Amino acid sequence: MSLANLPASPSQLARYPVEARDAYERFRTTGDVAALSPVILAAVRDFMPKRSLGVGMELRSDMRLMEDLGYDSLAVAETVFFFEDLFKVRIQNTELMAVRTIGELEQFVIKKLADNSKTSSA
Amino acid sequence: MSSFPGGRRVLITGLGFITPIGNDRTTVSASLRAGKHGLAPVQFLGNPQVPVRVAGTVKDFSVESTSPREWSWPSRYDLPRETLRGMAPHGVYAFCAIQQALADAGLKPADVANDDQTGLFCASAGSAMLMYNNLALMHAVRGERGNPMGVVSSIAGTLNFNLAAHFKITGAVCGFVSACASASHAIGYACDEIRLGRLKRVLVVGAEELNAETLLPFAAMRALSPQSDPKLASRPFDAGRDGFVGGGGSVVLVLEEASFAAARGASVYAEFAGWGQAADGYSVAMSHPVGAGLQRAMARALADAGVGPQEIDYVNAHGTSTPVGDRAEAIALKTLFDAEGARPVISSTKGLTGHPLSLAGAMEAGFCALAMCEGFTPGNPHLVNVDDACADLLLPRESLATGPSMVLNNSSGFGGSNVCHVLKRWAT
Repeated sequence: MSLANLPASPSQLARYPVEARDAYERFRTTGDVAALSPVILAAVRDFMPKRSLGVGMELRSDMRLMEDLGYDSLAVAETVFFFEDLFKVRIQNTELMAVRTIGELEQFVIKKLADNSKTSSA
Repeated sequence: MSSFPGGRRVLITGLGFITPIGNDRTTVSASLRAGKHGLAPVQFLGNPQVPVRVAGTVKDFSVESTSPREWSWPSRYDLPRETLRGMAPHGVYAFCAIQQALADAGLKPADVANDDQTGLFCASAGSAMLMYNNLALMHAVRGERGNPMGVVSSIAGTLNFNLAAHFKITGAVCGFVSACASASHAIGYACDEIRLGRLKRVLVVGAEELNAETLLPFAAMRALSPQSDPKLASRPFDAGRDGFVGGGGSVVLVLEEASFAAARGASVYAEFAGWGQAADGYSVAMSHPVGAGLQRAMARALADAGVGPQEIDYVNAHGTSTPVGDRAEAIALKTLFDAEGARPVISSTKGLTGHPLSLAGAMEAGFCALAMCEGFTPGNPHLVNVDDACADLLLPRESLATGPSMVLNNSSGFGGSNVCHVLKRWAT
């Protein structure tokens, strides 16, 4: 992944909240992976089965994708593909084995992009 | 009465319509009676040079994007994201048509869920648009990533996969791919499953999407009309016809075994009295010059239903408005009916809808059932100058205010597949 290859205003984020789009833009222009939390949370909410979260309930980092939010393996695969497609990275199945909660997903994506940034700038 | 062993009879007890001429029974019926077409101007790929200018469009839906997130449909249909994620554009039409058909049959989704006696038979050619999109990404990234829903949303079984999962169908699930005869095959084999006692009820779904990827390859075959006036573009059996007009949508029929339907007090549109099929063995795409396979398919359908040609009072012709196809069907119809001195009313409702390919057989079976139940017969409103080959056929322009009692519904597909249904008015 190279930040220079990431497009401004990608179509994948077109319907996402403005804070998610702003966070992506900060990352794209500054490389600040820590800014990406709003993007990750918006994606989790987007790919989550709609009936699994009660009205007004907020996402918490300790929530488990499958057990608490009703994700199935296809929804996990969709979410992974979303990040692959958005950030132009490749994520292996084995890398995902330890990801069970929202917080773990957030840390995984941030670490993945940080590692990739180092690799591509090296 | 069919000679099929077991004596089981099959009834049509529910219909759902998402069609170019209406998205509910009332609108479809009014369009058929009034001869009101559902063709509209189209432009594909932003290119006015494309020689396809009208099509049987589906109204109140927006499924042009390759991203399901951007699709919209009438708000009365509850389509959850976890179902939508694996769908093709025509899957959305089908989802709405199936919900409509269940309600029309007096059934709730819970009545068919996890019911081992209910099956789901679907006719679909898949989604060329999504397939193209998925494969383009695959090539662009040299196979390193891809949409995980790419397979189930685009290959020919996409309807079966998604609808079976959503509606929790456990009786039997099957898909049919025989081009423009696909949905007619689905209905025929659904009928047989019920007559064999394997299932009590089958939801039969036909669906087709309308976009450049589905339709324009037919322009390359020189099979589509280049006309911009809908009345000139789709005019089956007219001497000036010059190709078919594409169409999209979905129609769902609920077929039930008669005693099973009676036990729950179901309303009945018509009896599905029998069907037949035969192939041309002639060309990959063109009809046999005298409709040889279609003649045999019609004769087999009549034999299966145990009726003679003179008992048929309406034929819903395949009639796509192509020069070769309509001529072949006209000859086949004359050969079958003239020999018995029979002269049924014949019309092709594709004049109003265009030709929705895999959906055609289900859509037209639905129209026939509706006409029988409500008491009218569709006409040929775009027919002006009858082709000499069709001259002796009874082809009324206007719809008739009386309904048929015995109907033959014809479909023909690439490779010479011909499928014919016999529907019979149901007298309680």
